[in-house]
Amino acid sequence: MAHAQNRYLADLRDVHFLLFEQFRLGELLADPVFGGMDEATARMIVAESYDFARQVLGPLNEVGDREGCRLEGGAVRTPSGFRDAWQKLYEAGWKTLRVSPDHGGQGAPALLTVMVEEFLSGANTAFNMYPGLALGAAEVIAEYGTPEQKRAYLEPMYHGTFGGTMCLTEPHAGSDVGAARTRAEPRPDGTFLISGTKSFISGGDHDLAQNIVHLVLARVDGSPPGTKGLSLFIVPKLRLDGTPNDVVVAGLEHKMGIHGSATCLLNFGENGGCIGELLGGPPGLNQGIRQMFQLMNSARISVGIQGLAVASSAYLNALRYARERKQGPSIRHFKDPTAPRVPILQHADVRRMLLDMKARVEGIRALVAKLARHMDLARLSQGKDDQAHAYHLGQVELLTPIVKAYGSDQGFRVCEMAIQTLGGAGYIRDYGIEQYCRDAKIFSIYEGTNHIQAMDLVGRKLGLAGGAHLQRFLGDIGSFTRAQAGHPVLGPSVAVLGRAAEAVASTTLRLLDWFQGGRLEQVPLVANRFLEMMGETAVGWLLLEQASLALARLQELPPTHPDRSFYEGKRYAAVYFAQNVLPGVEDKARVLASEDRSALDIPDAAFAQV
Amino acid sequence: MKILVTVKRVPDPEQKIKLKDDRIDLSAANWQLNQFDEYAVEAALRLTEDARNPATRLGEVTVVSLGPAEVQQQLRAALAMGADKAVRVDSRDEDLDADIVARTVEKLVRRDSPDLVLMGKLAADNEGNEVGQRLAGYLGWPQATFASIIEVVEGGKALLVGREVDAGVEMKKVRLPAVVTVDLRIVAPQAIKNGRTPPDHAYPEGPRYASLKGIMAAKKKPIEELTLAQLAIQPTLRVRTVSVRLPPPRKAGIKVSSVQELVDKLHNEAKVI
Repeated sequence: MAHAQNRYLADLRDVHFLLFEQFRLGELLADPVFGGMDEATARMIVAESYDFARQVLGPLNEVGDREGCRLEGGAVRTPSGFRDAWQKLYEAGWKTLRVSPDHGGQGAPALLTVMVEEFLSGANTAFNMYPGLALGAAEVIAEYGTPEQKRAYLEPMYHGTFGGTMCLTEPHAGSDVGAARTRAEPRPDGTFLISGTKSFISGGDHDLAQNIVHLVLARVDGSPPGTKGLSLFIVPKLRLDGTPNDVVVAGLEHKMGIHGSATCLLNFGENGGCIGELLGGPPGLNQGIRQMFQLMNSARISVGIQGLAVASSAYLNALRYARERKQGPSIRHFKDPTAPRVPILQHADVRRMLLDMKARVEGIRALVAKLARHMDLARLSQGKDDQAHAYHLGQVELLTPIVKAYGSDQGFRVCEMAIQTLGGAGYIRDYGIEQYCRDAKIFSIYEGTNHIQAMDLVGRKLGLAGGAHLQRFLGDIGSFTRAQAGHPVLGPSVAVLGRAAEAVASTTLRLLDWFQGGRLEQVPLVANRFLEMMGETAVGWLLLEQASLALARLQELPPTHPDRSFYEGKRYAAVYFAQNVLPGVEDKARVLASEDRSALDIPDAAFAQV
Repeated sequence: MKILVTVKRVPDPEQKIKLKDDRIDLSAANWQLNQFDEYAVEAALRLTEDARNPATRLGEVTVVSLGPAEVQQQLRAALAMGADKAVRVDSRDEDLDADIVARTVEKLVRRDSPDLVLMGKLAADNEGNEVGQRLAGYLGWPQATFASIIEVVEGGKALLVGREVDAGVEMKKVRLPAVVTVDLRIVAPQAIKNGRTPPDHAYPEGPRYASLKGIMAAKKKPIEELTLAQLAIQPTLRVRTVSVRLPPPRKAGIKVSSVQELVDKLHNEAKVI
């Protein structure tokens, strides 16, 4: 097994800052819902899971990339070491952190879980997809399954005995899920015969677990066309008596990245012997899309975290390289050929790239943490405070597409910039950063392309509850900008944030106008841009909030305290982002206001005659 | 079997050493459990469990450390691996030397009467390699240092200990109670035979990871807090640090144009031939 070397790096100081300073995990842990965990335990969970990620998963990242998966005798073989890592992962229990104690988990806050997930994904994106999908699929069964289905599947899926997948996509039904043709034919005993082909199924087959439980979207004979007629079926690879269930791996994709993750073409019921159960029994008929959204929402957040995770490690690896690599003299001595060579960290453009990556990575991590905290507070306020519950749930709805799309887009771009920081060394395999970049590209595509996220945001989330979610979001930013407007260091940057928030507000009104004025077809042209405006505004806000906390801490710390440089970093990242990125939000609003229709109006033939 | 394991926190050996006022500056140190001590904890756990059913303990492992309150973190880490309880003797690193540590552990051993004291062969900070030998001397117990194999023999009354020496593996038998210090290979898959785990059982290489369950359980395990005074230890240092200096930086090399010149410089300037 070659190249078993860990390259994964995370900044635990930033994780601690988010957990214990900005988003105050301790407040959440005080609630007995979270099983009496304390801050010291949370710190230990962070430390130990990071160690695990670096020591067990990290060394297999490059191995998985080089070896890839193989299809042998109809079964997928994962790369060397993956089976061992799977076993160690479930022994260590990191995938049960958020699982209910009723099923042997810890019921930990999402705020803590997302940090651990970042480590697992960052150390080995491809590997972590297998257990991630198993957990996601189990959570759908936990939410919608019958008591018998829960009894049969939950424990083995939570604890690594069974894997899991979500089977939506078909060769002709990708983003257009409603076009799915997979059929479910009722059998006299209440089960269904499943027949059809599903493509691009992550973890569709593997040798890590005893069995794999597929959640398959299919249409029962006689159900309406489109998404409204789809139901979700539990279709195990092996029936619970151990006999094969006529699920055949028809092919394995060869991809740009995440080579260690098996992307399968699956044929269900080729020989008429594939039996599935309707999730939730008869009431589950035609409820498939709604049920699947439970999984999709948590999977979308996980994809945002994937983007963040690899970007963070790419940034820290680039930083480490820039500190060590000497090249060229300082610009102050550029005419003197004998001037000493300096580490490239001393060159202005390298510093710009590093600070840009730092701001984006730390800002997106804060956005993920904020979303997670809203999830936790929604859970805590349920049944106790309806207003608070609606508020937190609304923010989760609003922020989910932003975390998915902004996190994955920026994740890829940070990886690209990390390559640029290393120059030629970044383009070759030796430093591992080109793998991050290849792995990261899929994040903007799967679990709903980033355009689907943008349309979800613009077409659905903005209008939910009469627009209340966006109003609360902008209201929270307004409270911050009012409170910090006179800040001696951050004041000018807070003013830029205020203008960005106004640009988001005015653009929202413009979009509403388009919706109401029958100019619907123009919306998709600008949806991605609008999502980016919201992502930048949110990240700019959270970075400035960090900076204001950090500057307050700096006043208390003695001049030689080792923590000072961390807090100083927060200040520079926030000001950089506010001064260099946030003005772009206003620009985008102006561009959007020009209502340019070129992409719609250009005749098809005018693109090119090829 | 009752086992006492000593553990020490050390600054991350991969961090660059900084000096300040003739001392190593530890203000920004990343503290971690000394690697050899982690191996000792792993060895103790393997000695006190049946690997087929590790949840049922066959003995008791107590981890002991001397240090400030923050050492709790390293003790918790050992408890999360599976140790049963912990003792922290409050002290500052600069007030300790190997002799004080050995005498303190001696007091605890006399109080708690373990069957075995397991220790890392040395700590990665100053690589002293003294405490085990001193402790065995104070206790008048047999000692086996640098253990890479431990086998329980004579119905639990003695240990067969393998030590890696230049010529191969030297096997020693020590009667219990004894002091054993462990080397790197004690965490090899089959380095430990406790008479209960089947002899062909292979552990994963290296010390075990703290599991989520282990971490949650560690919270409920007791950490006893003691002071040197409570153990009637005279804290008189026998070793004092006068100053610490980094080795002088290497000078840049030079190019010579001929073998003649090289020999000349080696002879007349470097005076090595």
